[in-house]
Amino acid sequence: MMVVVEYFRAGELYGRRNPYHDGQKRNIRNMSVIAHVDHGKSTLTDSLVSKAGIIAGAKAGETRFTDTRKDEQERCITIKSTAISMFFELEDKDLCFINSPDQREKDEKGFLINLIDSPGHVDFSSEVTAALRVTDGALVVVDCVSGVCVQTETVLRQAIAERIKPILFMNKMDRALLELQLEAEELFQTFQRIVENVNVIIATYNDDGGPMGEVRVDPSKGSVGFGSGLHGWAFTLKQFSEMYAEKFKIDVSKLMNRLWGESFFNPKTKKWSKQKDADNKRSFCMYILDPIYKIFDSIMNYKKEEYLALLPKLGITLKHDDKDKDGKQLLKVVMRTWLPAGEALLQMIAIHLPSPVTAQKYRMEMLYEGPHDDEAALGIKNCDPNAPLMMYVSKMVPTSDKGRFYAFGRVFSGKVATGMKARIMGPNYTPGKKEDLYEKAIQRTILMMGRYVEAIEDVPSGNICGLVGVDQFLVKTGTITTFKDAHNLKVMKFSVSPVVRVAVEPKNPADLPKLVEGLKRLAKSDPMVQCIIEESGEHIIAGAGELHLEICLKDLEEDHACIPIKKSDPVVSYRETVSEESDQMCLSKSPNKHNRLFMKAQPMPDGLPEDIDDGKVNPRDDFKQRARYLSEKYDYDVTEARKIWCFGPDGTGPNILVDCTKGVQYLNEIKDSVVAGFQWATKEGVLSEENLRGVRFNIHDVTLHADAIHRGGGQIIPTTRRCLYACLLTAAPRLMEPVYQCEIQCPETAVGGIYGVLNRRRGHVFEEMQVTGTPMFVVKAYLPVNESFGFTADLRSNTGGQAFPQCVFDHWQVLPGDPLEPSTRPYGVVQETRDAVGSFGILFKLRYGSTAAVEPKTIKLSLRLHSRYSSGHTSARPHRYGSTAAVEPQMINYHSAYIQDILKADCRRSSLVGFCRYGSTAAVEPQMINYHSAYIQDILKIPQIVWFKSSLVTLRSIMRNLPG
Amino acid sequence: MAALQVIPIMFYIIGLGLGDYKDITVKGLEIVKKCDDVYLEAYTSILTCGSSALEEYYGRKLIIADRDLVEQGADDILNEAMKKRYCVIDPFGATTHTDLVLRAKEKGVQVQVIHNASILTAVGCCGLQLYSFGETVSIPYWTENWNPDSFFSKACNNYRNKLHTLCLLDIKVKEPTLESLTKKKKEYMPPKFMSVAEASTQVLKIIEKHKKTGETPEINEDTLCVGLARIGAKDQQIVVGSLTKMAEYDLGPPLHSLIIPGPVLHPMEIDYLERFRI
Repeated sequence: MMVVVEYFRAGELYGRRNPYHDGQKRNIRNMSVIAHVDHGKSTLTDSLVSKAGIIAGAKAGETRFTDTRKDEQERCITIKSTAISMFFELEDKDLCFINSPDQREKDEKGFLINLIDSPGHVDFSSEVTAALRVTDGALVVVDCVSGVCVQTETVLRQAIAERIKPILFMNKMDRALLELQLEAEELFQTFQRIVENVNVIIATYNDDGGPMGEVRVDPSKGSVGFGSGLHGWAFTLKQFSEMYAEKFKIDVSKLMNRLWGESFFNPKTKKWSKQKDADNKRSFCMYILDPIYKIFDSIMNYKKEEYLALLPKLGITLKHDDKDKDGKQLLKVVMRTWLPAGEALLQMIAIHLPSPVTAQKYRMEMLYEGPHDDEAALGIKNCDPNAPLMMYVSKMVPTSDKGRFYAFGRVFSGKVATGMKARIMGPNYTPGKKEDLYEKAIQRTILMMGRYVEAIEDVPSGNICGLVGVDQFLVKTGTITTFKDAHNLKVMKFSVSPVVRVAVEPKNPADLPKLVEGLKRLAKSDPMVQCIIEESGEHIIAGAGELHLEICLKDLEEDHACIPIKKSDPVVSYRETVSEESDQMCLSKSPNKHNRLFMKAQPMPDGLPEDIDDGKVNPRDDFKQRARYLSEKYDYDVTEARKIWCFGPDGTGPNILVDCTKGVQYLNEIKDSVVAGFQWATKEGVLSEENLRGVRFNIHDVTLHADAIHRGGGQIIPTTRRCLYACLLTAAPRLMEPVYQCEIQCPETAVGGIYGVLNRRRGHVFEEMQVTGTPMFVVKAYLPVNESFGFTADLRSNTGGQAFPQCVFDHWQVLPGDPLEPSTRPYGVVQETRDAVGSFGILFKLRYGSTAAVEPKTIKLSLRLHSRYSSGHTSARPHRYGSTAAVEPQMINYHSAYIQDILKADCRRSSLVGFCRYGSTAAVEPQMINYHSAYIQDILKIPQIVWFKSSLVTLRSIMRNLPG
Repeated sequence: MAALQVIPIMFYIIGLGLGDYKDITVKGLEIVKKCDDVYLEAYTSILTCGSSALEEYYGRKLIIADRDLVEQGADDILNEAMKKRYCVIDPFGATTHTDLVLRAKEKGVQVQVIHNASILTAVGCCGLQLYSFGETVSIPYWTENWNPDSFFSKACNNYRNKLHTLCLLDIKVKEPTLESLTKKKKEYMPPKFMSVAEASTQVLKIIEKHKKTGETPEINEDTLCVGLARIGAKDQQIVVGSLTKMAEYDLGPPLHSLIIPGPVLHPMEIDYLERFRI
């Protein structure tokens, strides 16, 4: 039924008057709805959808039209963001509130609202990021009972960073009135506190003098709405001012000012005052809350005469079939008729959110990577439909055709049309090169209408639309342009990172190709998820959290691969770092021995990695400014800070390579190779192939072959990597684990249970407070992600289902202990990550299997080695060597002699420390053994000597227990 | 027969000469025939004849030692060399072998080098006096973002000091691709040998770059150059002409070398070079 209704509607709208017409870009509003989970975004969105006539008004609040997936409906949670285009007309009396010429077309009442409903659960915040990128304004929904929550802050911060203008909506007023029974004054205080909290967040991340100007929300300006999405009613001060304007004979906007804040009215003296006196009353309570309270009171307490008298005063006439209703049902009808939510929201959106013309003026510099005065930049800035096309694809939306996707995005400049030829540029495209660039025709342009789509001839700048046929050329996101010299539109920066991962494999091995294809589709359909194929042939899915992974796996199994899947337990990603400066100068020689690098690693000062994450220190900075910043804030030597060669991994990560050499000739000829080696080493660290974090590498000296031929990439890149690894190993390496900030809401009685669960899971509470005006408590804690699996369920069972956590990735924290010492926790983690590579099988089988596939020569040797450890010694040892060999099979081939050496050394001296050292060193980088045996022996000597001196007794006892 | 005479356990490095399989010295040949294992070093230089011709002539099997084996597997070879007689055959001169000798010495393996002709001496055939050669340089293949030009300033230095510059041209045999370097599985580029024309083009590009910055390098488009191809082989070829002409001249199959003679030539040198003028 609904299909028919909507299709008809849409057809009528777009057929008769096409809001995409060029001349009407000022009447477009692109907006997202953002909030903490369960604050009622989708429910509120229904009000607008019903106003547009897409769903029946009575159903609004229950349908959650934008929750298009079955699981979304079942779980009552939004998982994917959904776009919908709606067309409204504004009345003349409201139009006059829009005074900027860029905010509306002359003599045009119609407004096109492109709305994106986004998920509130933190695991899906990448969807929010993608939504924010293509919109200009955001409706921030806050549950007035719970107040501003952690995810409210996260999404708001993201919005401000993307230069998205926010408006605020206080939702769930029905709960405040019916459940909490708050007094009017209390409710006002609650509202005011929420407005303040929101404005504090805005002020923290936005500069009032900045290009966006003042963005704080203000009820007296009408940029804050109040109401209940579920019941379908809402208002801003504007609605009430209009009601009273005549009575007071005051201008509507002036009256709005009087209806909020410290403004009191004395009904006897008819005087306004700024102070509370004995006989005056707060205007907000008196003129706005009182009538609402009266309606609630009379209807909910079945005072029929009272409300029948009241209704005509408010100008409400009940429809015939509504007359029989009473209680909550009647309340809904009355409130919805009196203060229709769609109307209030529409006005807020049209009046307070920027049009693309206004927004793109200040958003261009944030969006465009290229020079800010080229054709594309100007096209974006002016939202010019006649400029070259610039469109950003922010996500892929699955089509009904399995495996195909609509590329969903925003046209910032020019016009995208069915059949036109355009340049499709992926995130790795660099101007002037061919990489990640395709020139193809756009098969079709479409409008996204919630569950349905509609083909449209062309879409001019300022609009959001979908493209057909582009999905084959882009992985997740990209830029589409017709301008030959266009640079990319900036890639999105996600607030969460994929720190939780699982390995998957098909239940039936023959289904592997389907799994691979399914993973490709999954990677496309979600802005954040990473699908990685390990070198072992294992397939890894990395997501933001447990729920995110659960949904991804379900999608993979049911929609993308359509085969039964086995999955491993979730594991988290770690980071590797160092805790001291390298205790010696590390040297690596190139394979031809003629080039030598001398380097050291040292930890970055506290705060610098975060500064790099946040982009406060970044590779694009002017090097002089960056050096000044680093020297002022972190006490770096200015000359050295000017010679930062690069950031890594991926050219932007929180590790740096600094050139501290003096007078080395031809150094610039090897720079690119050293940088490549650095990127490699920072991506796959020495301990467990995790990314590095917070490490500064200093190049102290370089010896080069006299001839350029002998210092090419082949010589320098592996050498750099090896040297960096040695630097790490000598600088007291440490592992870092991800930590969630966890916000738990619960009644006071449940607080004790929360502490118990957190303690067991290495979490610690750093803030505990009561939500003012409610019996609820908020506990804020840090919880290692590793301990978070099953946390929600655990918490519920320990608090009788009263506590609900919301976890957001917060920071990286050093896992205490030396990963090179057995029996420490990080040691265990390193072993696990190395062994876990074969989480589905016997380590050997898998590893050697894959080795064999790569290089048949090694099989013989590896088998020899295999029999060596499977035949003897303790169980720990073969295991250990297992992982050694497992990490890099090539070493078996090249370095069998060395391994035998280790084996021998180990048995004879049975120095456990030395053993561990060998183990981990060898496992990490076998090649270094070859080139640097001297160097390694140096490292190795240290623990052995210490060991021999300190514990001869232990030595003897171990010797006795050794086989042979 | 002499072949049966026992030779001491030692690691031999035997020069192979420039041209074909018969260029090996008598002494070298005797050792090759008696060694337990013979490696053919195949990446600092290439043979103008195939390795099968060598095998046939020496009457024994050769193990091809590519870059990975020589640079990374040398320890294994040397360890074995303590027990057996090994020899690696190659013209001595490529810097890699210094390291091999050093490592052998470290391990207590005795080393003997049997010399042979090398391009460094054979360039005399173009008529330029060996005495007036300056620093030798190599011209590497440029990649997209690796365009080293330090060899050019060295050549200019030689030129300023009135010395000739011998430019050895890059060869890529079993060279891993840059993309595969950061992966564990190596992929190799197809073999490539730089020709005189390619080298001259790169030099011309450098000259152009220098001119753009307002400098006037000593060596320019019109500087006289000597192109050499397959020296020591039957079809060896020598041509003399300006750099611009060299950039267009095809000297046939590899290996090539390029000489940039100094500004002042001895009359004998001039007479000799004139014979090859194009």
